[in-house]
Amino acid sequence: MPGFVTHRRGRFHLHVLATSQFRTRYLDVKLARPLARHHVTATALLPYLWLEGTASLPNMRALMRRADDLYGAMVRTGAGKKGDRQVIEAYASVPEERALRGADGLFDAAAALLTEVITAPAIAGDGFVPEHVEKEKVLHRKRIESIRDDKIQYAMERCLESVCSGHPHGLPRLGYLEDLAHLSGSTLWQEHRALLASADVHVYAIGAFADEGRMAEALLGRLLSAFSPFAAEVRAHAAPPVTALSPRGSEVRHVVEHQPVQQGKLNLGFRTGVSYASPDYPALLVANAVLGGSPTSKLFVNVREKASLAYYASSRLDGLSGVLMVQTGIDAGKYDQALAIICAQVEALKAGEVSEQELAFAKRGLRNQFLQLGDQPLSLADIHFSGALAGVHREVDDLLQALEAVTRADVTRVAQSLALDTIYFLRSEEVGVHAGDPV
Amino acid sequence: MREIPYEQLGLTLYHEQLANGLQVYLLPRPGYRQVYATFTAHYGSVDSAFARDGGPVRTVPDGIAHFLEHKMFESPAGDVFNQFAAHGASANAFTSFDQTTYLFSCTEDVAENIRILLDFVQEPYFTDENVEKEKGIIAQEIRMYEDHPEARSFYGLLKALYHAHPVRTEIAGTVESIGQITKDLLYECYSTFYHPSNMVFFAVGGLDPHALMDLIRDNQAKKSFGPPPRITRVLPDEPADAAAARQETRLAVSQPRCLIGWKEVRVGLAGLDLLRQELLTGMVLDALFGRSADLYHELLDEGVIDPSFTWEYELAPSYGYSLVGGNVSRPEAFIARATAAVARARQEGIPKDVFERSRRKHIGRFLSGLDALGYVARHFTAYHLRQADLFATLDVLLSLRWEDANERLREHFAEERQAVSLVLPRD
Repeated sequence: MPGFVTHRRGRFHLHVLATSQFRTRYLDVKLARPLARHHVTATALLPYLWLEGTASLPNMRALMRRADDLYGAMVRTGAGKKGDRQVIEAYASVPEERALRGADGLFDAAAALLTEVITAPAIAGDGFVPEHVEKEKVLHRKRIESIRDDKIQYAMERCLESVCSGHPHGLPRLGYLEDLAHLSGSTLWQEHRALLASADVHVYAIGAFADEGRMAEALLGRLLSAFSPFAAEVRAHAAPPVTALSPRGSEVRHVVEHQPVQQGKLNLGFRTGVSYASPDYPALLVANAVLGGSPTSKLFVNVREKASLAYYASSRLDGLSGVLMVQTGIDAGKYDQALAIICAQVEALKAGEVSEQELAFAKRGLRNQFLQLGDQPLSLADIHFSGALAGVHREVDDLLQALEAVTRADVTRVAQSLALDTIYFLRSEEVGVHAGDPV
Repeated sequence: MREIPYEQLGLTLYHEQLANGLQVYLLPRPGYRQVYATFTAHYGSVDSAFARDGGPVRTVPDGIAHFLEHKMFESPAGDVFNQFAAHGASANAFTSFDQTTYLFSCTEDVAENIRILLDFVQEPYFTDENVEKEKGIIAQEIRMYEDHPEARSFYGLLKALYHAHPVRTEIAGTVESIGQITKDLLYECYSTFYHPSNMVFFAVGGLDPHALMDLIRDNQAKKSFGPPPRITRVLPDEPADAAAARQETRLAVSQPRCLIGWKEVRVGLAGLDLLRQELLTGMVLDALFGRSADLYHELLDEGVIDPSFTWEYELAPSYGYSLVGGNVSRPEAFIARATAAVARARQEGIPKDVFERSRRKHIGRFLSGLDALGYVARHFTAYHLRQADLFATLDVLLSLRWEDANERLREHFAEERQAVSLVLPRD
């Protein structure tokens, strides 16, 4: 599988994948800084504020029209987290010119636009434009509040919060409602300067480039010059690699929340202590796949197919924090039965009760997922970026080889690292509330 | 096998109709590791009343097409997912208003996986026991959507727009309606709608069209299906106006969600006419409500809407609707402003430069969309069932006229065909 070619200047990394496979060209800029309570909310607000306007496009409408004029260029920004890093992202994609007449230079124009969005946002006086700030504070409040409206996501976030409590990993990726009132154009501008001056910058360029060497040079030059006003702080040392959360020896935390819902959401959060860079990581991927990664997994077969308790029953592994999360949606009255089945499946995994077929299905399924990455440019960038943060250079081909070598003994051994940390349950107050009834 | 070149797109589509009536389309995409394959029955949730070979009209329980889709994954040999897993494929299925699609994506063992797909969809295996067991699973799927603000506001809107057409009913049915489903009813629907002549196979990705067509042809030649049933889809009379002006639901959400919809008056189209109307109406909606529209930014600046705001247009032979909305903090303000903006646009028309910008955007988005094989497969199939060609999109977009857009605007957005759907917080 083709890999990225990296050009590096200090904290700036440009990763280029030149390929004629796609009809789209992608540019994805990721800025990473340590998650910290005091700046998590301000930092999360910044990428949304960037889209409010730039030095040459004074408001969001002008910016959107510019993007539409570039044959509907997608211009998106967002705030996320990976392990204990806050990740601010700005992304643009444009169609390739071959099917378009009179559309030369689209990629350069998109790169210029995206660079301006990040490094030259609209300002007034000593900060961001006050109207922009007030508007985005309102929208950010809604953004945070609306997590509650998707119950599957809400249950996952709440469970994660408990599993990661007391550690920067557990800070919410969008920050806190109570911080919003204290944010102003000037405090946000200071945070913006701090982010641009200190973040590790990873830029991914993917697509068909006539002369990739020249493209890379021009793009890197453009970025370095645009970032230059934000003088880099002298960093005593580079950010350490992201590592997994260690299991804590305490008792399992039980979190129960009540909302008027039709379906209960039961989530189990496990810490594994297995880091992304660990040699055990491929075996943990296989263990997760055996447990709840597909329709042939233990959870799907036993919770859904055999017991008819749920429509979805799965597990997912967050590679950077080493947290494995089981999630399912059940009738609230079936809590005990569902929990017992889930725990029995985890115990079976730990006891080595994994058939040759289960192992083979899990490994082939993962192999298929990783081979398909070659068709998914943004996922490819994301995997590469995870490696960069965890301090491990692992090409997809390396991972495929490592997966191939995983044995049942490896799966059983790594399964011992699953330490149940939190049982989270979202349920209705009482039986018989029909939340979906028309008023 | 016939080759259909699309020179401007740099694509060649391969097509053959097999002796049993099955339509097969294969689209090679050099460079792709994956193959994404779909096998689709022209059968969805709206086909709840039908007659076969001139016989009496049968009305079956709501949600049965979706229930059937779930049950196809059991075979006499066990769970179909195991067969796919043995060859590294990731399999799934979905049911919409008018189609049922079985699919997989894989990067190896393409021939084996295609055989599995063809064989499991053509071998129904229902028992009283496995039908009963599925009811608990689907009941939880229905409950999940009952808590879902997007699903509630969407179905609320269709219930308001439509008096009688089955598009107003949830695709999965209700817990009560699926309770009536039996093994015999499933076999009846299966034998009516899953004849190869009522199906289409489409695969896209890193594939060899000649070898795959041979494989599919051989596979089908070994099976016998009998003569194709003559299907009459029975639909109730549907008045042109909206059934209700407003529909409200309360849920455990943080903020209201509001959709405004317009029922399509010009239905009964197929082929190029359908594609033209769909794209033209989409451009009108984008001009009025898209990310570049004045109204979008006014409402956003005033805190009435948030970036979840979106528009959608759907056009099938027997129904159609547009909708616009999202999370809305002040629904009454939104409804008043959107209605006024539509009325003004009907008077003044869309400026020509706005129309041209929207055209460029639609062209770009269509071309970029070709990279997502799942998107290509889903849309190619949906259009095919409506006798339209997804890959004609670029030509149609280039041919659309500004004057026609303004005419479409005046025709589509009529007050008597407008309805509002609201999801409000419980507390």
